[in-house]
Amino acid sequence: MNWLGLLFALPLVLMALVIIGVVGALVSYLSPGDLQSALLSEETLFAVGMSLQTSLLSLALALLLAVPAAHCLARQAFPGKAMVETLLDLPMVTPPLVAGVGLLFLLGYQSPVGAALAAAGINLLFSPAGIVLAQTYVAASIIVRTARAAFASVDQDYARMAWTLGLSPGWAFLLVEIPMAARGLVTAAVLGWARALGEFGATLMVAGATRMYTETLPMAVYLNIASGETGLAVACALILLGLAFLLLLATRLVDRDTPKEVEYVGRGA
Amino acid sequence: MSAVALEKISSRILHEVSLNVADGEAVAIQGPSGSGKSTLLKVVAGLVTHQGRVLFDDTAVHGWAPHRRRLGYLSQDLHLFPHLTVRQNVWLSLAFGFDHQGSRAERIEEALCLARAQHLHNRYPAQLSGGERQRAALARCLARRPGVLLLDEPFSSLDLGNRHTIWRDLNALRQPLQMTLLLVTHDETEAQVLADRTVWLQHGQIVSR
Repeated sequence: MNWLGLLFALPLVLMALVIIGVVGALVSYLSPGDLQSALLSEETLFAVGMSLQTSLLSLALALLLAVPAAHCLARQAFPGKAMVETLLDLPMVTPPLVAGVGLLFLLGYQSPVGAALAAAGINLLFSPAGIVLAQTYVAASIIVRTARAAFASVDQDYARMAWTLGLSPGWAFLLVEIPMAARGLVTAAVLGWARALGEFGATLMVAGATRMYTETLPMAVYLNIASGETGLAVACALILLGLAFLLLLATRLVDRDTPKEVEYVGRGA
Repeated sequence: MSAVALEKISSRILHEVSLNVADGEAVAIQGPSGSGKSTLLKVVAGLVTHQGRVLFDDTAVHGWAPHRRRLGYLSQDLHLFPHLTVRQNVWLSLAFGFDHQGSRAERIEEALCLARAQHLHNRYPAQLSGGERQRAALARCLARRPGVLLLDEPFSSLDLGNRHTIWRDLNALRQPLQMTLLLVTHDETEAQVLADRTVWLQHGQIVSR
């Protein structure tokens, strides 16, 4: 390694040390016995269950919305496309708290949408449904962006070839385009799920922070830090860290299995 | 077999092109690059928007979606589906609109046999050589027993030996499978070997030569 390589390796080491320090500080905060009892407490188990249920439901909803939208953006040209793409990217860069305030105002009883929902007997705010709404809002944006790139990487002529072989556009999408974009779509789903699991700011505004009711893992960290129950907060933080690590590892493994040569667009010879 | 008639086809590249191809006839389309040869085949396949009429056996099909036109289309890039084996590629072409004469398995075997691709059935496209890919793609096309076969320079990347072999096989298959053939090629010899006649395209119009 030359001097430039060494120089550039220093920030790398520094960043890795900081991350190890943060994780280590959390891990070493509790004794193994305290950690075990905090992990198995009723509140922690509730937060794990609430987080998994809401994030998986949000992931399903986000995929349902985002995958067709991403395909449309990757394949279709239409007026104002750049504007629509920018708009769909907005939830990704907006502070979640701001997104939450927006959702709150949109669905509040004083807004036409909120009033219409209330008239139909649908109440999304300050309930687990609100958690799903907030998580779907932020996860869908990441999924659209990643899935769009996945579809764009598949030559559209494969779908056209499928049409000439008797497949309708719908079947060509399901049997040709989805499998060919599968790796990118899996990455999109994992990133979306990770985003939904870690969602806090928008959830706080839309669903509130009610212990044992709208208490997801990030919310449990917040509530327990605020009330001085640091042990429970740390246990929930460690679970979030573990889940995030597993999800990131999954995306790495998916990427590693991707063949490097571009065989999909290769010619016959 | 299907007779193909194109009546006053106009698109971004083509200008009022009319062409009649009789049942079972093989017509080569030649011309300089950018003259609209591939676009003409895509018009027949329903893959590009255009004005004018396309008829198969006197039935107007220009309003039909590509998957409803019973044809085979083999392009230069072949587009074998990389996530499927050769057998699965062939199977997919029979998954919809299969006419139920005989079983799908029999039809797949027959198509692989006709294209001399039986030994490739378990391989993925990435594991095939250039010539083998052509055979796999041909098997996928033939499995549907298309009335019209559209060939858009599919053999141009093959070496001369492989090209001669596949020309011979294709000529042998034309009669028993009762196919009308439209072939785009830059290769004079290929046109002579495979086609009954040649039409010339220049600047999006058919010209006499």
